[in-house]
Amino acid sequence: MKFEEKIKKLEEIVATLESENNDLEDSIDKYSEAMKLVKECDEQLKNIEEKVNKIVTENGNLEDLEIEE
Amino acid sequence: MNDKYLTVSVINRYIKHKLDTDENLTHVFIKGEISNFKEHSTGHLYFSIKDETSKINAIMFSGNARKLNFKPIDGSKVLITGRISVYEATGNYQIYVEEMIEDGIGSLYIAFEKLKKQLASEGLFDEKYKKPIPKYPTKIGVITANTGAAIKDIISTIKRRYPIGQVILFPSLVQGENASKDIVKNIKLANTFDLDVLIVGRGGGSIEDLWPFNEEIVARAIFDSKIPIISAVGHEVDFTIADFVADLRAPTPTGAAELAVPNLVDVNKYIDQLKIRLSSDILKKINIQKLYLDSLKNSYILKNPLLLYENKKQKLDLLNNKLNELIIKEIDFKKLNLDSLKNSYILKNPQFLYKNKYEKLILLNNNLNKNIKLKIDNNINNLNNLIEKLQLVNPLNVLKRGFSLTYKDDKIIKSKKKVKLDDTLNIKFSDGDIVVNVKEIN
Repeated sequence: MKFEEKIKKLEEIVATLESENNDLEDSIDKYSEAMKLVKECDEQLKNIEEKVNKIVTENGNLEDLEIEE
Repeated sequence: MNDKYLTVSVINRYIKHKLDTDENLTHVFIKGEISNFKEHSTGHLYFSIKDETSKINAIMFSGNARKLNFKPIDGSKVLITGRISVYEATGNYQIYVEEMIEDGIGSLYIAFEKLKKQLASEGLFDEKYKKPIPKYPTKIGVITANTGAAIKDIISTIKRRYPIGQVILFPSLVQGENASKDIVKNIKLANTFDLDVLIVGRGGGSIEDLWPFNEEIVARAIFDSKIPIISAVGHEVDFTIADFVADLRAPTPTGAAELAVPNLVDVNKYIDQLKIRLSSDILKKINIQKLYLDSLKNSYILKNPLLLYENKKQKLDLLNNKLNELIIKEIDFKKLNLDSLKNSYILKNPQFLYKNKYEKLILLNNNLNKNIKLKIDNNINNLNNLIEKLQLVNPLNVLKRGFSLTYKDDKIIKSKKKVKLDDTLNIKFSDGDIVVNVKEIN
């Protein structure tokens, strides 16, 4: 699941949990799913291996893009 | 008395003198649009210069007109140097044009406005076509020159704010004749990549420099792009057609990068917030359930279950009594029934049933006897009659009178021709028969 989708799912769960009317088991399942998502997002942000930027060459394939600061 | 009134020519001469001696008007620079242009046979040019709100007459003597490097027509945007003065005969002030050049910039503006109006009417700028910019992109396409400040700014901004975002550069011409075609080619190429957002733009420059981003084909390519596009052309103040049609306009390339990616610090903060809200929600929910459970636990009934049992018992007794009552009543009812049946007339004198049956039987019997007797008598009479008749025709009576019947092999013989000597015959008399042999036939 893409980072963006994880965040969106997380927001959905928070919204449903904040609305009073769902039963306990269901809330607990949703809660654990949410915490799993939080862990995944955290990990993705923590191990920030810098993405190598790319440049599209004439013939359309990707090469590493080095831009001197 | 009336010498204080001046003549028209005196007034006009005075005004002319005023204008001719005002150094702001003796060497003036004006830009505007030519209208009701007329070239006189003498080569002198008569026209007027206007802007959106006002107009001024102009005249260019043939001497100056010859030096023009373009053919002025109505609507041409021009830059004029000349002097303002009055033509006394008519009292009109006008500009005496010394030099006139095409306002290159002006015609560009005209083209810009025209295209802008056309694309706006086609709905390319409508809000409803603007695609949302994804909040957390992973791949950010960039179409700009691969040298120059723009790409540097974008990459450094993204690296600083959102290092997990990957930039994919589609190097493109951003200035000059075939820049617009190159930009369109790159937009189409970018759409074949799995990008979350696309930044299209360049650093600052003159209106001519930025012109490719005002071209119609670029506008249409941006509009048709499936990937949301952030335009970043020139400086804060520059507005190009690309900016109007893009899904989001950024003032500068750096601004575009800031709009394209969130700041990781904020993202972390946001996720932490969500975490907190999550745990507080679940705790609140659990507490509610706990409270509810407690309230149930010490509910009156659970505290003294016997109560349940008691009123159940009571209910049981009640039901029991009712049951007995009912049964007794039922039995009485049945007894009554029985009694009434017992002394019913029929049981009391069964023969009653039997009686009328009996009478019926006797009746039937008598009838039967009578009928049978009758039938027998009839038959007897018939029989007697038959007998009498039989007697009359009985061949044996004849025998009684001395006749006899002769049989051969049980057949009656009526003539001697049927007999041969020594045959055995059978002769029947009224009182019996005898067996004889034939001695003689004569």
